[in-house]
Amino acid sequence: MSSANPLMPQQATILDITEETPDIKTLRVVGKDGLPFDFMPGQCAMLSVPPVGEAIFSITSSPTCRECLEFSIKNVGNVSNALHCLVPGQQIGIRGPYGNGFPVDQMKGKDLLFIGGGIGLAPLRSLISYCFAHREDYGHIDIVYGARSPADLIRKSEVRESWAEQPDTSVYLTVDAEFPDWDGHVGFVPTYVSELAFKPEGKIAITCGPPIMIKFVLQALDKLGFSADQVITTLEMRMKCGVGKCGRCNLGSVYVCKDGPVFSLEELNALPAEY
Amino acid sequence: MKKLIARDKLPELWEALAARGPLYLPVQEGPVVSFKTWEEGAEANLEATATAVSPKDVFLPREETFLQYKSDGTKLELIPLEDIDPVTVFGIHPCDLRAVEMLDKVYLEQDPPDTLYKKRRENTTVVALSCDRPDPFCFCNEFDVDPADAPGADVMAYLRNGNVLLEARNDKGRALLEQAGDLLQDGSAESVEKKEVKTADFGLNLEGLPENLKERFEDPAWDELYKSCLGCGVCTYVCPTCYCFDVEDFGHEREGQRFRCWDSCMYGHFTEMAGGHNPRAGRRERVRQRFMHKLRYYPETFGEIACVGCGRCLRSCPVNLDIVQAIKALGGETVEQR
Repeated sequence: MSSANPLMPQQATILDITEETPDIKTLRVVGKDGLPFDFMPGQCAMLSVPPVGEAIFSITSSPTCRECLEFSIKNVGNVSNALHCLVPGQQIGIRGPYGNGFPVDQMKGKDLLFIGGGIGLAPLRSLISYCFAHREDYGHIDIVYGARSPADLIRKSEVRESWAEQPDTSVYLTVDAEFPDWDGHVGFVPTYVSELAFKPEGKIAITCGPPIMIKFVLQALDKLGFSADQVITTLEMRMKCGVGKCGRCNLGSVYVCKDGPVFSLEELNALPAEY
Repeated sequence: MKKLIARDKLPELWEALAARGPLYLPVQEGPVVSFKTWEEGAEANLEATATAVSPKDVFLPREETFLQYKSDGTKLELIPLEDIDPVTVFGIHPCDLRAVEMLDKVYLEQDPPDTLYKKRRENTTVVALSCDRPDPFCFCNEFDVDPADAPGADVMAYLRNGNVLLEARNDKGRALLEQAGDLLQDGSAESVEKKEVKTADFGLNLEGLPENLKERFEDPAWDELYKSCLGCGVCTYVCPTCYCFDVEDFGHEREGQRFRCWDSCMYGHFTEMAGGHNPRAGRRERVRQRFMHKLRYYPETFGEIACVGCGRCLRSCPVNLDIVQAIKALGGETVEQR
């Protein structure tokens, strides 16, 4: 298939749709014969709903899930809105996978600290599930996840039950403010990370969330003594082609769609801060 | 293989070449010369120095439909549209062909290859035209382009008094000349005079410029340079080495098409994300992106500055914010030794 037009999508069918929060839905998608393509955690796919168009989304499921691809999508733009309006059985266009993905081999043998905010859990969830499926390859796993309110936390039952019950795993949830139905931690994710005072030794921190959260999480990790090569994040840019040609996600001499979206803080520090 | 044709017989040659498939050549329309598909009666102008817009659209069309979709509300059919006719382009200047070779690096050599571009490139026979009349904006010498000769051409054409000499450089070129048959006379005895064509010397010093720009992302020069920019994007449209594109759908829910078209990093929406965040929200960031891409990022990946000195941005920019001004503001000016 190497001679195929890289901009040409294939058909995929919506298996089902879960409403996660008032503005986030998880779509389960299957290709003609099972998975549309193989991929690694952190990689992305272009989803299209003609005539609205095409946009890039991170894949939320783990490659160890062989039934379908999952996308947890926040309704913020034209294509995400069109995806939110779909019903099971409808077909969309899909192409991918795009990007480098998380360095799962380099992470082997390390303790992992996942720090997610809001919809930022979507790409992390692929990696977290992957690490659980290869549990013996990784050390202790800490997961800090927060959102504005309890209603904005995605995949609540999975996070609280199945993840918290995994061996050698700690899950820390937080919301930004007090809510009547919430008896968990209250406070912003970066502050919570500082309070939990994670030790950097033998650890890799992987973070994704709103830009402002990432900014303060990076500061918090720095104060805790994490070096730039111990911190990994994944960038979001506007993209049209996914293959490093259309120019939108160009950052210095890299294209986020093909050279990213996953970067270590060390790599990011060497790039223009235009993201 | 060398052939000759009298200049007054050229319209017959256009007709013969157009029978093979679309023939692009510089056409005079009012005051503007642009590469157009030849139609009977079109006024070809081989004397023009540079066309207003570069001929990159032969390989990377302004709009290019590549997919047709049909939907019954549930099922979605996606049909690729990839039929690309064999094309002849006649009269491309050495600078512009050199620029196409820069596009090749992005669209052919960098994985995955762009199949639409690849097919156009393979299906196109290039007749390059030796250029001996640079205007005051031409500075291709600066980028080691020889205006008189285009090494990447299938056929090299030389305008002479009363006739045109056509020299096939490869099989594709020979096939083109053979197809023109009796219209062409034997030119094997003709010799090609090697001419040295001098272009403008703006006093640029490009030595080490890409490397030096690594330290100039936050240079105060950007704070001044961008101020006159109108954000019109004309520089990117006329530029032979600009290659950014957009992908959009056209149609309704039941059927329609997907196309790509030229886009410009000079426009605010180019990087604006759903939700409103924009990594290059201001003109300063966008002007910096365009020049840094030409002068630093592209060279870092492909080993050469993405400019061929065609002079189009110098001729077209309404506020003279062209690449020469940028290079000078960024330390690329020759300093006279006392």
